[in-house]
Amino acid sequence: MSESSLTDSEMETGELDESTAGIDAGGSTTTDGETEEEVQAEWTDYSFDGEPKISVEDLDVWYGDDHAIQSVSMDIPEESVTALIGPSGCGKSTFLRSINRMNDRINIARTDGRVAIDGQDIYQDGTDLVELRKRVGMVFQSPNPFPKSIRDNIAYGPRKHGDIERGLLARLLGRDEKAEEDRLVERSLRQAALWDEVSDRLDDNAIGLSGGQQQRLCIARCLAVDPEVILMDEPASALDPVATSKIEDLIEELSEDYTVVVVTHNMQQAARISDQTAVFLTGGELVEYGDTDQIFENPESQRVEDYITGKFG
Amino acid sequence: MPREEFQAELDDLRDAIVELGRTVLAGFERAAVALVENDTEAARAVIDGDATVNRRYLDLESRCIDLLALQQPVAGDLRFVASSFKILTDIERIGDLAVNLAERARDKREDYLPEVNVDDLTGIAAEMLDRALDAYAAGNAAACRAVADQDDELDGLCERVAGLVMEDLVGREVGHEMGDDLMAGVRRLLLTVRDIERVGDHAVNIAARTLYMVEGTETLLY
Repeated sequence: MSESSLTDSEMETGELDESTAGIDAGGSTTTDGETEEEVQAEWTDYSFDGEPKISVEDLDVWYGDDHAIQSVSMDIPEESVTALIGPSGCGKSTFLRSINRMNDRINIARTDGRVAIDGQDIYQDGTDLVELRKRVGMVFQSPNPFPKSIRDNIAYGPRKHGDIERGLLARLLGRDEKAEEDRLVERSLRQAALWDEVSDRLDDNAIGLSGGQQQRLCIARCLAVDPEVILMDEPASALDPVATSKIEDLIEELSEDYTVVVVTHNMQQAARISDQTAVFLTGGELVEYGDTDQIFENPESQRVEDYITGKFG
Repeated sequence: MPREEFQAELDDLRDAIVELGRTVLAGFERAAVALVENDTEAARAVIDGDATVNRRYLDLESRCIDLLALQQPVAGDLRFVASSFKILTDIERIGDLAVNLAERARDKREDYLPEVNVDDLTGIAAEMLDRALDAYAAGNAAACRAVADQDDELDGLCERVAGLVMEDLVGREVGHEMGDDLMAGVRRLLLTVRDIERVGDHAVNIAARTLYMVEGTETLLY
């Protein structure tokens, strides 16, 4: 009795394996007739020229018992915009935060797998988190400037990070430290397309800026420490269309020099600004990853198709 | 529910395009009969009907633009609207070709090369259009490929007619003194054959866009 039921389940497993091993991508049907889509490896295999800037291998993240990210692997090319989309709770923000170990700050979070930047695993023992977060900057959903002057907001990071060497270097070179800082503030604000709007009031409190300006200030603050990767978690969701469009233009410009990874709920925004799109679905699963035009014109996965066209359930 | 309404609009658009396609197909078949039977009444009806076809074509085209602007469709929905937008143009062009045939039926002269059976050609072209419209309505990829295959047959027949005309002219040993009537007859037959052949090409376009809509592949597009 038990032997025969074991055989049955073995047979079932065998059948399932066979169907998922099929060369043709597509939904496979379980033995009880319920359509259940198996994620095909080639849907998330994205190949590009050059070495990946960020390389994620078999990443799992748990919050207590909740498996928030399930064995996600993906390579992100440098100097491009990668959008992460998916429904609420799909793990896209968790995934984003794992790229600069922001999840470390959450007590119950546990991470397994490998996240490498320029081939170097950032979860390795001895990784300098301050240095990591300097290389991998982050911009959040709600603009969160310090209640300080515009200038101080920008200069805060450099003063904290490389300040001493910078000051020393300036003195060695006989340069004025204040002038160096002014240059840095101007450069960062220009890069964030904010300079023209605030150049005559750098000592005003940043809280007085509009939401869109505050968000660009936060981007400028992030740029001031010379990052390589910029993570953005719904950077425009709290902004009006005009401010959103400025942020989108900025993201595109930044991608010429930085590797930008953006989480967004706005699919049109993902389509507009990104080069690659990764679709996460409920359960922390990366279902499809590829060129943005391919994802939005002709996705491989039926579940991705249903999600982006709004056909739920 | 917006998604359901959007889906209903997509379904309505598909139905309306198929209906316009069927109207154009009926006009083409009517023009083909008029051409053979010298039926000027039928020819006039086809010519007059073109204004309605054009009006509905513009209306449906603007519905596609509305859907793009207001719903910003993606994936399968996007491919459907984009394909429909292109297919509409092909349907409208077939309407114009039917008018061409009808105009030739109206000023009918003595048949040149009566042994050429134009019915055979229009029959194949009409069947191709019929199948292409069915394929579009049902999203049937295999049927799209069948339409493309059928076009080879139509092209072959059309080429054969051109060959017959050449043979005939060589046989008549016409030189500079080719008479006006003969000239008009040759011209009429060759243009008719070309129009029918173009109907087949538009049917293939409809099939090709439908295949893109269904599979996302551009294999039939050229």
